[in-house]
Amino acid sequence: MRTTQIVEAVLFSSDAPLRSEEIARADESLNEDVVEKCIKELTKMYLDSERAFEIKQIAGGYQILTLSVYAPYLERFDTVPKSSRLSMPALETLAIIAYRQPIGRIDIEYIRGVSSAGVIRTLQDRELVDVIGRGDGLGRPLLYGTTNKFLEHFGFSDLEDLPRTEDLPVILKGEDIPDSVESVISGELETKNNEGIMTTEKEIDDLTDGGGVVPLTSPVE
Amino acid sequence: MKTHSLDTGDTGEEIFLIVDLERFRGPLDLLLHLIRQQDIDIFEIPISKITRQFLLAIRSMSVEQIDNAGEFMEMAASLLRIKARMLLPNTTMSDDDDPRAELVYRLLEYEQIQEIRAHLSVAESQRSRQFGKGFVSPINRIEKIEVILDTTWDEVYAAAISVTVPSINIVEHRVTTRLVAMEDKVDLILHALQRLKRVEFSGLLKPFESKMHGVMTLLAGLELARKRKVKLRQAKAFSELWMYRVSDSSPEAVKSQLNSSEG
Repeated sequence: MRTTQIVEAVLFSSDAPLRSEEIARADESLNEDVVEKCIKELTKMYLDSERAFEIKQIAGGYQILTLSVYAPYLERFDTVPKSSRLSMPALETLAIIAYRQPIGRIDIEYIRGVSSAGVIRTLQDRELVDVIGRGDGLGRPLLYGTTNKFLEHFGFSDLEDLPRTEDLPVILKGEDIPDSVESVISGELETKNNEGIMTTEKEIDDLTDGGGVVPLTSPVE
Repeated sequence: MKTHSLDTGDTGEEIFLIVDLERFRGPLDLLLHLIRQQDIDIFEIPISKITRQFLLAIRSMSVEQIDNAGEFMEMAASLLRIKARMLLPNTTMSDDDDPRAELVYRLLEYEQIQEIRAHLSVAESQRSRQFGKGFVSPINRIEKIEVILDTTWDEVYAAAISVTVPSINIVEHRVTTRLVAMEDKVDLILHALQRLKRVEFSGLLKPFESKMHGVMTLLAGLELARKRKVKLRQAKAFSELWMYRVSDSSPEAVKSQLNSSEG
């Protein structure tokens, strides 16, 4: 019995993404590096032998998923859940939370221009966002962040899978409200641009190590 | 669907914009739409023109949209404030200070969020086309358990056709005086038992149609049984109910006894 097959067996039996250290628990011969190596090998095997599934990196772990070309066949079965897609306001709010977390309701509403309490509650009910801390402002407002389930829902490995703001057609300079129109946008990037996104090494580590949510690393001014 | 055509002309030009307010997810969305549709340079927003169009658009809001009206009104107020600041002689602010800066920033930020939203939407739809384990199960998942029936098909059939399908009509409850007296039913039972040793409950109901007769006959039977003037027998649940004569029961004697005990 080879280690690759042990990893395969563990992945096969799971219906949720498993992190490499979780897979490594299956045998003494395994550690995270060996697991990663085995997964690479399996990925190649599946590709070469044209399997109907692949190993996908989701929410910091790995999961065997069917290839999307087979979706029409699987959707004929009643037990396959019809994809419950999020509404436009929900996606919009989620986009804001994903990029600006930790963020409070007032700031979300300022960016959207509309009240958002209901949408936030819906996202919380679906466990896509959660309260990850409290702000310093008046009444210590609740601050929201995305959860592991958020990554699973969108098939992201981690928050780095989100498009980088500098790759978007609209690029903003930092989060401060500018004094003049010209300072709002510019061709060259400033390092400040990244502050809004939680993509620093530490935070990603926290995300993959910790429980469901990104821990509050710094209070909001 | 509510549409509203807007006269944009501050210079008299007759350009009509079709604005479907229900389509907009908020004031920023509407504002951005007005700006983009007219190819306005976002850094040189003609505030008075945009404000006029914005106000015209929200005037067409229906009563159902009144919940969101506040958000649109707030935006209209900030537009007017920006205009007012632009008209004031600029003494305290430096030349760089543009009252429109915050609005421009908000609009661009909003546009950026829409880009990200579109990305999320694509990612969501891609993810929803891939399935993990456990989604497809055999069509007949329910295990069939063999139950040995001691009921015959005839019995099942009889039970099925005797079921009254409940009518979906609203039942009106009416309080009326009792049209069928229990005393009459006591008489009926006792007289029947004078002729026969035992009598079928259903047989006693035959000449009558209303349900009340059945109810009263049963009550009379139960009352007589309580007084030990008749015996009731039923072989099993839902089968025929038999009433048996008890030796010393002449109708008149029993009736007077019943009446006296009730008093």
